[in-house]
This record gives sequence, C-alpha cells and structure tokens, in this order.
Amino acid sequence: MILIWLLIVPLAAGPLAFFLRRRHLMEAVNLTAFAVLLCLATALSLQVGRSGPVSVLDGFFYADALSALVVLLSAFVALICSIYAIGYFRHDESNGVFQEGEKLGGGRAINKLREYYTLTPLFVFSMILVALANNLGILWVAIEGTTLASVFLVMFYGRETSLEAAWKYAIIGGVGLSMALFGTILTYYSAHQALGTDTLAGLNWSVLVGNASQFDKPTMRLAFILILLGYGTKAGIAPMHTWKPDAYSEAPIPGAAMLAAAVLNCAIYGLVRFYILTAKCLGPGFASHLLILFGLLSMGVAVPFILVQKNFRRMLAYSSIDHSGIMVLALGFGGPLGVLGMLLHMTFHSITKPLLFFCAGNVQQQLKTDLFREAKGGLIHSMPLTGAAFLMVTLAVTGAPPFSLFLSEFTILRAGFSRGYLVLAILFITFLVAIFSGFLIHIANLVLGPDPGLPSAETCRWKKSSVVGLALVIIVMGFWIPAPLFRLIQGAVDIVTSGR
Amino acid sequence: MTFLQDPEFGDRIITLMAALVLVLQIAAVGQRWLVSSIRIFAVQSFLLAAIAGIIAYFNHASHIYIAALLTLVLKAGLLPWLLERLVRRIQIRREIEPLINAPLSILIAGCLTLVGYVVAQSFYHPEETSVRAALGHNTLAVAIALFLIGFFTMLNRRKALTQVLGLLSLENGLFLAAISLTYGMPLVVELGIFFDVLVAVMILGILVFRIREAFDSMDVSKLRKLRE
Repeated sequence: MILIWLLIVPLAAGPLAFFLRRRHLMEAVNLTAFAVLLCLATALSLQVGRSGPVSVLDGFFYADALSALVVLLSAFVALICSIYAIGYFRHDESNGVFQEGEKLGGGRAINKLREYYTLTPLFVFSMILVALANNLGILWVAIEGTTLASVFLVMFYGRETSLEAAWKYAIIGGVGLSMALFGTILTYYSAHQALGTDTLAGLNWSVLVGNASQFDKPTMRLAFILILLGYGTKAGIAPMHTWKPDAYSEAPIPGAAMLAAAVLNCAIYGLVRFYILTAKCLGPGFASHLLILFGLLSMGVAVPFILVQKNFRRMLAYSSIDHSGIMVLALGFGGPLGVLGMLLHMTFHSITKPLLFFCAGNVQQQLKTDLFREAKGGLIHSMPLTGAAFLMVTLAVTGAPPFSLFLSEFTILRAGFSRGYLVLAILFITFLVAIFSGFLIHIANLVLGPDPGLPSAETCRWKKSSVVGLALVIIVMGFWIPAPLFRLIQGAVDIVTSGR
Repeated sequence: MTFLQDPEFGDRIITLMAALVLVLQIAAVGQRWLVSSIRIFAVQSFLLAAIAGIIAYFNHASHIYIAALLTLVLKAGLLPWLLERLVRRIQIRREIEPLINAPLSILIAGCLTLVGYVVAQSFYHPEETSVRAALGHNTLAVAIALFLIGFFTMLNRRKALTQVLGLLSLENGLFLAAISLTYGMPLVVELGIFFDVLVAVMILGILVFRIREAFDSMDVSKLRKLRE
C-alpha cells in the first residue's frame, strides 16, 4: 500500500498547486508533499530492510533494497530542494528576474511560480515511478517522463540561451532514450524465447532476473550496448554529456540540483538493472569492460573543462559528469566491493551535491553573474555563511577526508586494486586529484580574498536553513552512517552481485 | 478465401509493406519540402498501423489491434495534423539546405539499409525454420534501417522541425522492431510509449515555436551561444 501512496502524493501535489492562486499556498503544498514523501520513503526503506521486497497490484509495482534506496534519495533531494526553492524564487521575484524573459514566453511571476510548483511534483513522481516500476518498459516510460517534465524547468527563465539549452536537452535526451527503448525491446526479445509468450510478465524484473542465464546471448549483447548508450545519455556520461553544462547552467537552481542529484541516480538505476541481467546472461566481463571505458572517459573529459572553467554553474555540471563517470567505473570494477563503492557514492553524492548548487545559487543571486571573471573574490565578507559552506562542500564533493565521498572513492579504489586493474586505478586517482585541485582553486578564488565591499546579503531564512541543515547532514554523514541505511545499501549490493 | 488463413501469405504482405515503409523513408531523406516530409511520415505511420493489424490478425493477438489503432489515430492522424498546423502558424513551407546534398544523402541512406541487414543477420538463427523467424528477420532489418536513417536525418537537417520528424521516424523504426520481433511490447508499455511520444512532440512543438519567435528562424545552427 505504501508503494501506491509514494506515487499518489507527488502526483496529486502537482495539479493541486496548479489551481492555487497564492504563492505561499503553492509553497506550502510543495513542502508538505515532499515532507510526507520523505516519511513514506523512510518507512518503505525500513520495511524493505526488515522483511525483504514489497510488491502490489500483482507485482506491477515492486520495491527491493535497490529501489528503496533510490526512492529514499529522490525524496530527500526533493524535500531539501523545495525548502531552498522558496527562498530562491522569492529572491528572484523581488529582483524582477521573471520580467526579463517575459517577451520570450516568460510571464507574470505568479504564473512562472505556478509552472515550477506544478511541474516539480510531476518530475518527482516520474523519478519515484522509475524506482518502483517492476516492468522494464514502464521503467523506460518513467525515465522519458523525467525528461519531459524537466524540459520546461530548463527553459524556465525564457532567455534565448535557455531555449537553446532546452532544445539540446530535449533532442539529445530523446535520441538517447530511443536507443534505450531499442535496448529494452531487444532484451524483451532475448527473454521471449526463454519465457514463452506471456505478454505482461515478460518484461517484469522479478521474472526476468531468475531466467537471465537462458537469454539469447548475441541479442543481449547488442541490447546492453544500446542501454548503456541510452541511459548513459541520461546520466550524462561522455561522449553523450554535451547537454549537461547547458541544461544545468540555465535551469533554476532547485531544478538543476534535482537533475544533478536525483535524476542521475534514476538513470544509473536503470543501467544497473540491465547490468545485472547482462552479467547473469553473458558473465560479468563484457559489461564490465564497457562500463570501465565509459566511466574513465567521462572522468577524463571532465578534467580539462574543470581546470579552465570560466563559469561556476557550468563547472558544477562537469563535476556531475565526473561523478556519474565514477559510479559507472565502480560498477565496471564490479565485485561486492566495487558495487558497494558505487552505491555508497550514489548515496553520498545525492546528499552532498544539492548544497554545492545552493551555494552557487546564492552567489549568483548576489553577484547577478555566473562568471568567475566578473566576481571579484572575497565573498566570505559579504556572505559568511554561504562562503564557508561553499568551501566546505567543495572539499566534500571532491572527495577530501573526512567527508563521506572520500570513503566511497576509497572503496572504489580498493575494488580497482583488488580486481587487478592497477593502471586504471592509478588513472582514477590522477583524475580525482586534478579535479580536486581545479575545483579548489576556482572556489577559493571566488570565496576568499580581500573584502570588495559588497553589501551584506543573507537575510532569507529559507535559504539559510536549507544551507545550514544540509551542511550539518553532510558533516554528520562523514562520521556516522545510520545502521538501517547501511543495511539497505548492503541489501542493494546483494541484489546487484547475486541477482537476488 | 483460404489464403486469408495462410500465415505465409500474411508474411509476404508484411514484408512487402515493410519494404514500402523503407522506400518512403529514403524518399523522405531526399525531400526538400517540409509539408511533404510530414505527409510521408503520415503515410509511413499508416503502413505501420496496417502491418500491426495484419500481425494481430494472423497471430490472433488481440492486444496488437489496440497498438495498431493507436498508431493510426496518433501517428497517422493527430501528430501530422499538429505539425502541419505548426508549419502554417510559423509560415515556413520550404525546407532547404541540408548539410549533405540530396543524391549523396540517398546514397548514405542506402548504405545504412545495408548496415541494417548486416546487424539483423546476427539475430538470424537458421535452425529456427518457422515462419516467425523469417518474418522477424526481414522486418527487423527494415526497422534497424529506419532507426539509422532517422538518426542520419537528424544530423543532416538544420531546421528544428525536421529534427523532430527525424526523431519520429526513429520512433517508427522502434515500433516496427517491437511488433516484428516480439509481437508488440506488453500493452501498458505500449500505451506508455504512445503517451510519451505525444507529449514529447507537443513539448518540441512549443520549443520550435518559441525558438522561431526568439531567433526569427528555425535554423538550429543559430543556437550557438552556449559555448565553452
């Protein structure tokens, strides 16, 4: 029953916000819906951790530890972003940002806010559906749904550049996902011969995983390549990453944070499901080599763009490309240790990344630019809280100890060494160090330095509370992982490594 | 009327129609007029709906009738109508300047068809001599060719609307692959895919309209402000 509620709450919150006239009512609906969603997701995680997979409606919706983890992370990111969004859009409104885009299909502030508060719950609904769908075809429909719901978020401000970013996002996403659909069809075909002509259950994960070893092998091989290209496009791994810097720098900050911290997980989740089938059908070698190749390529592509980056919002996008590369690489290293590293990385990344976006958003709203060149440095004087948090989260996101991403990256490194990928593991460290130094230099230049004499900003309690709250979570997670959460992750590791 | 029960007859009809779909696709590659590209897409979708109907008839698979009906209504009716309306509203009838000229484009489309056949060959299991395997083999090759040519069209055209058409014909290739390989995906999946395609075309339509207003052109090569 809890699975149904998880879907109904965001699905109802979107249309409800559409019919409201007052700004603070929309904000309240959004906030309440996501708070309830996080409670439900926590309840689901505890239940799955205690008594194993849950399914309803003849197995149409299905949740095991892996899906529960993705649901939990999506709900967490949605809630924290909705808190920040309140402060962010109030600031935008009082600065008249919405009027700029008015002639290009923007509109009155209240209409833009309604657009945001209606689409975001639908966006979250598709993310939850990705994790809860048992049928791999529905999984595809839901991932396409996340793209469709977020295209309008990317062109939210209605500037010429937003249109360009939205066009790229929609077209590249559309082509990528059509490849994933082809992969899904071929998976169905290769399973068809083993399972007979049972039409609905033939794509159900819970049925497929038990029979994966009898699938038609050449078909499955092609299917996995298409799935990797398709869901890889959605996860933004190189060379299909080109939509990411544009979309992330044009979308409003809360939307971009959700794209980076939650949708990324959904795409990786889809990839993992097919990886399990492929590994059972063909043995782990074939899929691993492809994943390692694309993972390292993504990290390698991110390095030069982070080192010479001029725009701090685009830099966040390259950081996201880097992190999806790390996750794909970890999955490629495989084994219990590699998969554990990947799932820990997914968890910690989802918790850490939104704060990076919030700090960048605060800085952008203060300076009215997203270029390093036009920022004079010394932001810590006018925005002490954001400045400090920005430095902290930069260290956290680049994997410096004691923050939690260090733990996951170290686990992945150990997995690489223990599986005998010596050269690749060294390459992995090199990329990490290069990204660390590039990131730190840019952000330190932005935040530290003499006081340029800007007026003090930071009065909004919504923005402050989301930044402080999330920073506390990140610090705590550096030292302590709640036992139920770790059990959930271990359960998910078992699913990936043994298929059950 | 015994031939109406003969699966081999059905197979031949389907192969013939799949060939027609492919011919239309190649014709669309050489097409210079936007409206005729849209109409070619409509005819192609109509043929696909017919193929789905024939497969449903010969295999007594009633859920494919629904997919066939949806294809007919959405892809052969509603979407072309919406796109033509969009073309009229933004008042562009002629579509020129592909990156590669028409004869060479058609040649490339021919090569992609060959690639489709080579890829489909790898799925062909000669030990399965049933009609179904042979049927899957021919139509799968056409489906892969449609997919690749759709891809090529998207790269080759610079007008926003023709990229949408490329995406749609790519989707048509997938539909053909799904019905010929496995007699259609499960019905809920099929419905979900139709819904997504419909919404995607509407969103892209809105985008085309706004791009046209903002840039005074549909030429996507003018979208180049976001650079490193």
